[in-house]
Amino acid sequence: MHDVLHQLSLGFLHLLTPANAMSLAVGLVVGMLVAVLPGLTLVMGVVLALPFTYGMGVTPSIVLLTAMYLSGTYGGAFTSILFRIPGEPLDVPLLWDGYPMARQGKPAQALGWTLLAALWGGLVTAVSAVLLAVPFAKFALRFDAPEYFAIVLFGLSGVTALGGASMPKALISLCIGLLLATVGVDDTYGADRFTFGVPILKDGIEYLTVMVGAYGLGEVLARMGEGFATPPMESGGNVETQLPRWREIWRLRPTVARSSVIGVLCGIVPGAGATVGSFVAYGAEAQYGKRRDKLGTGIPEGIVAPQVASTATVGGHMVPLLALGIPGSGATAVILGAFLLHGVQPGPQIFQTEAGMVYTIFASMFAAVIGMCLLGYFAIKPLIKVLQLPEAVTSAFVALFCFVGAYSARNSVTDLWMIVIFGVVGYLFERFRFPIAPMVLGCILGPVAENSFMTSMIAYKNDWTVFFTRPISGIVMVLTFLALAYPMIRHLRQALRVRHLPPGIAALRRETPP
Amino acid sequence: MLGRLKEAIPYAALLGGAAFLYWDSSRFASLGRAGQLSPAFWPRAVLALLMGVCAWELARRVLFAPPRPRAEARPAQDEGEEARARRHPLLLAAGIGLTVAYVLLLGILGFFLATAFYLAGFMLVGRYRRAGVIAASSVLGSLAFIFVFMKIVYVSLPLGVGPFERLSIWILAALGVH
Repeated sequence: MHDVLHQLSLGFLHLLTPANAMSLAVGLVVGMLVAVLPGLTLVMGVVLALPFTYGMGVTPSIVLLTAMYLSGTYGGAFTSILFRIPGEPLDVPLLWDGYPMARQGKPAQALGWTLLAALWGGLVTAVSAVLLAVPFAKFALRFDAPEYFAIVLFGLSGVTALGGASMPKALISLCIGLLLATVGVDDTYGADRFTFGVPILKDGIEYLTVMVGAYGLGEVLARMGEGFATPPMESGGNVETQLPRWREIWRLRPTVARSSVIGVLCGIVPGAGATVGSFVAYGAEAQYGKRRDKLGTGIPEGIVAPQVASTATVGGHMVPLLALGIPGSGATAVILGAFLLHGVQPGPQIFQTEAGMVYTIFASMFAAVIGMCLLGYFAIKPLIKVLQLPEAVTSAFVALFCFVGAYSARNSVTDLWMIVIFGVVGYLFERFRFPIAPMVLGCILGPVAENSFMTSMIAYKNDWTVFFTRPISGIVMVLTFLALAYPMIRHLRQALRVRHLPPGIAALRRETPP
Repeated sequence: MLGRLKEAIPYAALLGGAAFLYWDSSRFASLGRAGQLSPAFWPRAVLALLMGVCAWELARRVLFAPPRPRAEARPAQDEGEEARARRHPLLLAAGIGLTVAYVLLLGILGFFLATAFYLAGFMLVGRYRRAGVIAASSVLGSLAFIFVFMKIVYVSLPLGVGPFERLSIWILAALGVH
């Protein structure tokens, strides 16, 4: 513990270097802007920031992206509460109580509760990341190829099972990502796979182009297909924040405690993330909260629970990313991409080889929490003016960012064609409601999964039972099975329940996602 | 029935594509060493899973799909949702065409001209009609991108060919990029 605190204090000192401090400030502002704009998702914002990190060192790059990620979980609250426009899916539960409170003439109080919840959730996230990452990494040092395969499989299954969309669609998306990762010359035998005689395919498909194309250009095309129907805001409105009294805060401690635990757990479980955390925390409040009957009428519990949980997920996500090199969400997948672009492979060894960088990232999380709250309190009024920009103008620049970002990686026009192709794929995914996150994660984790699987098979003479007979991999494989089986059981139970309803209502229920 | 078939099209297309890739994997299936899994094992496992899920979804949607609710049973949408739900295939086609043209012309016109035209075209296709804003944001936006990426991030953006290259070099000199 003493060593951790010593390293953390050094991390704070490193954070004071101009490059790190500047990255932190820029990340906070850009993350907030991205979250405020309904057309830009948090993951898309992190993806678009990635090319700017090519010329930077690895630490400022990760500080920038992590700050964006953190402030992005807070910025969308303003549009949710004031205008009933959730900037991100994770902000949807916020408007159920935040907007009614604002409509009752108390927008400043609603924003005050949000700020406080983001501050608490942020501090919980930073502390949990510091406390959990080292034990996680020490534990991971015992891993061999079968354990790695089991963990990666668990990560992928978690994303598939908890991704929000239908499980078959998530599985299809994941398979496409895994297949994209197999294109090119394979690592074990040097065989050309799915190259069809095209020389550029021998190098494989860059996951960066998949990410930027599907998330960035795909979203732009989807909005164009809707005719850019979101009207620009008339004005920034009355954006003031009024902090609640200590007595009011003290009354909410069960809500805060519950949501903090839910947030951290949802962060650690791959695929759950901020959106799931936000919804689960609101659901827990509806089930166990003292004033659950008043939920939805504009009470602070309905604002605090989702905001604490969504911000608290960030640290949970950073733990498996840093300790195992496994991202559990779209945003952490991009952060992993930034690590790899700078030649750093996250994993248990990183705490020995790059301890300075890791603790600077942790320190930046503490500073980012304070920074984003100050930004939310003092500077949100000018930031929110970005909502007055017409969607066609912002989308044109987003598309351009996608192209320049992809081009900057290798100075290759071929990558631009890949962006166009995956932009269309991303649009089709949006159009037919396939989730993009499993494809991106499949693309990034596919090579790790295949290599650890092939290494296990070579080392254990094609004995596939090794994944079940070794204790750690066996437990993780059981968890994987449960993660896949749970949504199926839930679906079956729902189908059985629907069968007993009148035909018209039953048909409607079937069409509505859980 | 027509609706069900329409819903099944993506799964049928994916199933066909996966079957083709499975067949194609036989080209490298024999390249492995004796006693070890071939390089086709992993992609084939993924393709088998993909085909299984697609076949399941096809069967579920075509054979066992539940009856659809009557139109009056659907919940009412607000105006904004209705506007977003409306499809604009021509706008989308124009957007994709413009994007393809941008990538094609980037090497010929150079980054500045191609980008300025792309931004302006995109805003026009997106039904934004304030000419002053379009002109200013597309020209200034292109210049800002050149400055940031060539001067600060050190990315070598395409200059174009012939007279377009000379124009790009002149712009770079004016921006202080050497």
